[in-house]
Amino acid sequence: MMPDLSVNLGELQLRNPVMVAAGTFGYGLEYQDIVDLSRLGAIVTKSLTLAPRMGNTPPRVAETPAGMLNAIGLQNDGVDAFILETLPRLCEYGTPIIVSVAGETVGEYAQVAERLSRVDGVAALELNLSCPNQARGGMEFGVSPELTAQAVAAVRTATDLPLIAKLSPNVGDIVPIAQGAVQAGATAVSLINTVLGVAVDPKTRQFRLASKCGGLSGPAVKPIAQYHLWRVRQALPETPLIGVGGISSAEDAIEFILLGAHAVQIGTANYVQPTLALEVVEGIAQYLQVNGFESVEAIRGVVY
Amino acid sequence: MTRYELPAVVVEHQRRGTNLYELILHAPPIAQSATPGQFVMLRPLRTHAPLWRRPYSILRANPDKGVFSVLYSVQSAFTELLSLKPIGSTVQTLGPLGSYFQPVRAAQRHILVAGGVGAPPLCFFAARLAPTLTPDEQILILEGARREDLLVGLDEFRALGAEVRVATDDGSRGYKGYVTDLLAEALNEPLESVVYACGPNRMLRVVAQLCMARGVPCQVSLDAPMPCGIGVCLGCAVKVNTPDGGAWYKRACVEGPVFRAEEVVWE
Repeated sequence: MMPDLSVNLGELQLRNPVMVAAGTFGYGLEYQDIVDLSRLGAIVTKSLTLAPRMGNTPPRVAETPAGMLNAIGLQNDGVDAFILETLPRLCEYGTPIIVSVAGETVGEYAQVAERLSRVDGVAALELNLSCPNQARGGMEFGVSPELTAQAVAAVRTATDLPLIAKLSPNVGDIVPIAQGAVQAGATAVSLINTVLGVAVDPKTRQFRLASKCGGLSGPAVKPIAQYHLWRVRQALPETPLIGVGGISSAEDAIEFILLGAHAVQIGTANYVQPTLALEVVEGIAQYLQVNGFESVEAIRGVVY
Repeated sequence: MTRYELPAVVVEHQRRGTNLYELILHAPPIAQSATPGQFVMLRPLRTHAPLWRRPYSILRANPDKGVFSVLYSVQSAFTELLSLKPIGSTVQTLGPLGSYFQPVRAAQRHILVAGGVGAPPLCFFAARLAPTLTPDEQILILEGARREDLLVGLDEFRALGAEVRVATDDGSRGYKGYVTDLLAEALNEPLESVVYACGPNRMLRVVAQLCMARGVPCQVSLDAPMPCGIGVCLGCAVKVNTPDGGAWYKRACVEGPVFRAEEVVWE
């Protein structure tokens, strides 16, 4: 018998637990000739801001051992262009569209969310809490429980859509941040966003990124993501969790589910293996079948 | 533009110079649709380190045989993995990708400026351009490298009937100095010229400036760190002038790698 891959994250229902992570799948359409978008659990778009953003000066990316640093600077076309030009075409695939929302102020998060909740076709919003906060000298929203709660609460009042808070790992204790997000109205929590890092080029004796500091992603961050997920799982057993960080095989995804993730996101691996998400969907089904489980839920959180 | 994600089969590693190899891959859809200036992303093995695929310009393509090739030298963990791929094994490949060189038909002389590792796409371009020339058109190759043994494709360029001028940093062959000096000289000759260039970005900046100062049409193939090649990561950003007088970032992997010189913001 085919195992049941469907999962529920509060009001958000997915045909399978495998999404593609924000910023690693463009707006979705970029992959349509390579990946069957209708077989994904959900598509999380590139982060959108109120106005178009040009992004940072290159170099913006650097390869590191089993990972990469990026400092793209939220280059995007702005929420209005997305709603007008991209969303209608993306909806044709029948896959839930989760829009990643970014902002430099609490008000910007809320305004972007408000515009997205006025149109059809958006299944949920994911708050990118790793954005630099203008009012606090560029500090990430996600490093403070108060700022996290403020951003989530502002978006909560602006929309009725399911709300996912994507947490930053660049904190001492992630639990109060997750609690702050949930108390402010987040329906689910995804973790983790990228880990802060730098890389240096001995040849040029300069930073490899023009903005010096960037976000580390890829296989190198998987244990960090799993650690944070495991801790939040223990503190918030009722909250749907989405595991993201370094997944590059079905086994990696299953590990997150065993630790308590309701769903997972494939991120950096999309760059090097565009069809990985579909492979992970099949791999999870196969794992359940071989081991005699009827559903994804049957293995969720059994490692704690 | 159609692109393919497929396992290409290794046909041969052909030695082409000192630590310089031509990797011939069998992948008919790519071989049949590749245009000079375009590239492929290669991944020899599913490794975590190296993680990224690497972009390789297409050196030649034979649609009838379904093969295309790229040029590599062994100088990193990635290229070592590539060099160890046995004949008959597969290399996961995405391509053909990006923009391509577009022949400017009004020209009397097509000047192809190749610097170091920038030669492969111009070899492909010359091979496709030569058979289409009218009796009034000619090809001039200007190729530069650090040393003589790093020069690529000189015999092939000559076999196409092109004139070839060479510069090496150490003077081991041809002019001792930069290939851009040869270009400055060539642009002073009384012929309607158009320039197509590929090489290090600092060389391309000089090429672009020389051409723009003389009103010579110029297309450059730019290099940028490229994690995805698909157009999603925005890592390979190239700053370009916009029609409204502003600037924006385009992607070397989709809108590039070949840009018109005047479109690029040369910083």
